[in-house]
Order: sequence, then C-alpha cells, then structure tokens
Amino acid sequence: MSETTQAEAERTDAETAPDQPLETTSGETEEQVREEWREYAFDGRTKLAAEDLDVHYSDDHALKGVSIEIPENSVTALIGPSGCGKSTFLRCLNRMNDRIRSARVDGSVRIDGEEIYQDGVNLVELRKRVGMVFQSPNPFPKSIRENISYGPEKHGDLQTGLLARLLDRSDEDEREQLVERCLRDAALWDEVNDRLDDNALGLSGGQQQRLCIARCLSVDPEVILMDEPASALDPIATAKIEDLIDQLSEEYTVVIVTHNMQQAARISDQTAVFLTGGELVEYGDTDQVFENPHSERVEDYITGKFG
Amino acid sequence: MPRTGYQDDLDDLREDVLAMGQLVLGRLDDGLEALRTGDESLAREVAEGDATVNEHYLELESRCIDLFALQQPVAGDLRFVAASFKILTDLERIADLAANLGRYALAGDESLVPEVPVGDIGTAARDLVARSLDAYADRDAAACRAIHEDDDTVDALCGRASEAVARDLVEREAATDAWELERLLDDVSRLLLTVRDLERVADHAVNIAARTLYMIESDPELIY
Repeated sequence: MSETTQAEAERTDAETAPDQPLETTSGETEEQVREEWREYAFDGRTKLAAEDLDVHYSDDHALKGVSIEIPENSVTALIGPSGCGKSTFLRCLNRMNDRIRSARVDGSVRIDGEEIYQDGVNLVELRKRVGMVFQSPNPFPKSIRENISYGPEKHGDLQTGLLARLLDRSDEDEREQLVERCLRDAALWDEVNDRLDDNALGLSGGQQQRLCIARCLSVDPEVILMDEPASALDPIATAKIEDLIDQLSEEYTVVIVTHNMQQAARISDQTAVFLTGGELVEYGDTDQVFENPHSERVEDYITGKFG
Repeated sequence: MPRTGYQDDLDDLREDVLAMGQLVLGRLDDGLEALRTGDESLAREVAEGDATVNEHYLELESRCIDLFALQQPVAGDLRFVAASFKILTDLERIADLAANLGRYALAGDESLVPEVPVGDIGTAARDLVARSLDAYADRDAAACRAIHEDDDTVDALCGRASEAVARDLVEREAATDAWELERLLDDVSRLLLTVRDLERVADHAVNIAARTLYMIESDPELIY
C-alpha cells in the first residue's frame, strides 16, 4: 500500500471508530492505567523518546498525544488494529511522514536526547541513523553486492568504480568486507556468497527481505524500524527473520510494527498497543501485556473480542 | 463478536471443568459415606470407579492442549486455560484420594481410635473442595484467599488426629500376640493414611483456589 493510500485508509477507520468504554481489567480508570505504564521502567538506557506526539492528515487526527520511551538494544513491538496509527508513529521516528504532503506532526521525538523535529536536522543523516525495512521486500534491481554497497557509495563512504581505480583511491577491499559483514549480520552470507553478482530479484522472498535488512545495516544505523517485515513471507522465512531480529537487538534498537500478535509476543521485549483513534493505550514488558494487560480494551483486542 | 467458535470452546471448557468437579465431589461424598457406614458395596464402587473421572480428565486436558496449540490464548483467556489445565490435575488427584477412601473402608472400620474425627475432617476437606469450585465458577478472589486461610483448620484437625493415634498407641498395652500386633499395625497405618489423604484433599482444594486466583487477578501469591 502506498503511503498516501495508507493514510487515507487510516482516516477512514478513524472516522468510523465507535466510542470506546473507559473500562480496565482492574476496575481503574483508563487514565490511572496510563499513569501506571507511564511510570513503566525498563532496563537500560532510553534510545528513542516521543512526547505528546500528534499527527494530523489534513483535518484527521491520526495520532493523539503519544508519549513513549523506547530502550536501547531491544525489540519494541507496536501492535493494534488497522488504522490505529502504529505505522504513522513508526514513520515519525525517521520523519518519513515528511514525505506525505497532508501530514502535520506536532510534539517531540528525541534520539539519544537530540530532537529530530527541529530546523536544521539533516534528513539524510537521520535516515542513516534510523533505517527502515518495509512490508514487501524491495531490493534494487541490481546485483546482491551492489544492493549492499549502494548506500555507502552514495553517501561517499566507499570509493569504487572505474574513476576510483584510475585515481588509485579504490575501496574495493573495504567494499568486499562491508558486503560480507552485512550479509553475515543479516544471516544471508552462507546462502549467497557464491553468487554476489547475481541479480537480487532472483532471490526468494525471504532472502530478499534479509537482503533489505543487510542493505539497511550497510550505512551503520543505530535504530532499525520494521513495518510488518515478515507478513509477506512463509513460516520458514518468517522464522529466519524473527531469529535475525533477535540477533540484531544485541547491537541495534529495533522497533517493529506487526499485525501478527504471536510474532510480537515471540520476538519483542516491550509491546506498545495502539487502538483505533490513534491512541497509545498500553505500553509495557511484552509478557505483562500478553499475560495481564491493564486495559480492558487491550484485553479485548489481543484476545480477539475487539469489534 | 469475532472468534465465536473459540469463545464457545472456552465456555464449554469452563462448564466441563465444573461438571468434572461435581463428579469428583460426588466420588468424595461416596468415599466419606463408605467410611462412615462401612457400606461394602459403596466402598467397592468408589474404590474401583475411578475410570470415569480419568476419562474426563484426559479428554479435558487434551482440549486445553488443543486450545494452546490452535488458538494461542493470551491475557485473561491464557490465564483461564492455564489455570483450568492445572485444576484438572488437582481434581483427578482428589478422585484418586476418594478411591483410596473406598479401599480403606473395605479394609476395616476407622473406629480404632475414637478420638480421631475422620468424619469431621472429611466434611471440612470436602467443604473446601466445593468452595474452591464455586470460587472458580464465580471468579471470586476473596473466596480463594479464604479457602487458603481455612485450610489451616483442616491441617490443625489432621495434626491433632495424628497425635491422638500416636498417643493411643503408646497408652495401649503392648500386644503379645504376633497376629494381634500385625492387625494393629495395619489398622493404625490405614487410619493415619486416611487422615493424610483427607489433608491432601484439602491441599488440592487450596491448589484449585490458588490457580483460580491467578486466573482472576494474575496474582500467583497462593501458588507459592
């Protein structure tokens, strides 16, 4: 789905959303529940922090006052029904919403304490720090090797090609090392190391998605955003992506949107539940959210009684 | 409501766990009645009639496993299926203990030491089982905690009963006849086993209350 179409879909869902009862599993008010998880303390250091984040698409309020802190080197899952704003929130984290003309973002997002919604932020540098992997694998129609080296070459971090060789500034060795490191980190090296010059579009869907993750790693990001990265894959390929996400979280901060709640339960350390209307309704350790959610609306959603 | 088939499965499981609970309570009543009256035919029926409970137990356990595997319950549903899965085991064990009561009734009367109130202990333990099933049915957290506290009364009764048996043995004139001694040992052992089994029945009732409290409030305080 294109970004514009998705924004429209979210708008439609938000417009038709019924008013939700303010009930919780513990009999507390929803505001009390929110106060509880606002005090939720995770182990480790905060990598990303959003505060009072609002997103409007034209007149539609797609994300309402979202405040959340995401810890470094962990996996945070964003779950919720279609149109709840979870992908909108994900796209706020590397300012991808800037690409949607009708989108207006208010509030704050900080990475390592540094505000990304302020004048003078270099968006190219931001998106190097905060990489993104999409629902459908989208490798470049180039060789496997070029898919990895394309970004660093574009950014000037690698000098290769004819001109570089003529000027005796070739970084061919560095490129080969980079390609191998990224493919190994994406658990793909053993499957493709004998065919790095083959077109990436010849790989299977699961391999293509891992190549996209490898491509994302090539510019040395700190945060990896994933928008339903396994929804187009079979169970074996999905399991490989899930294993990979677990490994990546040792070095990177991973934020993943998924419709598959069992996947969120399997792979994430923290889970944030967005519900229709663009609200972040609950956030906490994944085992707490799936065993004992505080909010009755979240309980109804994750047990399938929603709707 | 979406997933209606799944919701129906959960409702059915709850009803069938309660039905198995009633079946087990019935067996416990029969076991206690056989002990009280010495009714040989009833005692035999209880001692040998464990198969029906076991069939229910295995069938319901299998349904819980299917729910875990096929529906992947979460949140309150997860706690309900997990609690029910454990409660089934407690119910099956109570039925085993009820069958033991039938066997003890067949072996002889329990009036060896008149100060041991087997009937009272049995009634108290049976009452805890019935209350634990009510707490599960009504999702009553306060009742779960009360059952845990009231188990102390059963424990105290059982403790006093065991002491009374020991005291009686010490005070009894030493038996000179080897055959008499053997019979006395059998009777004493059986009486102590009866008391111990009734105490265990009450312990299983507490387990049911503990799992029920976890199911209701996600509170494991009584499990440990």
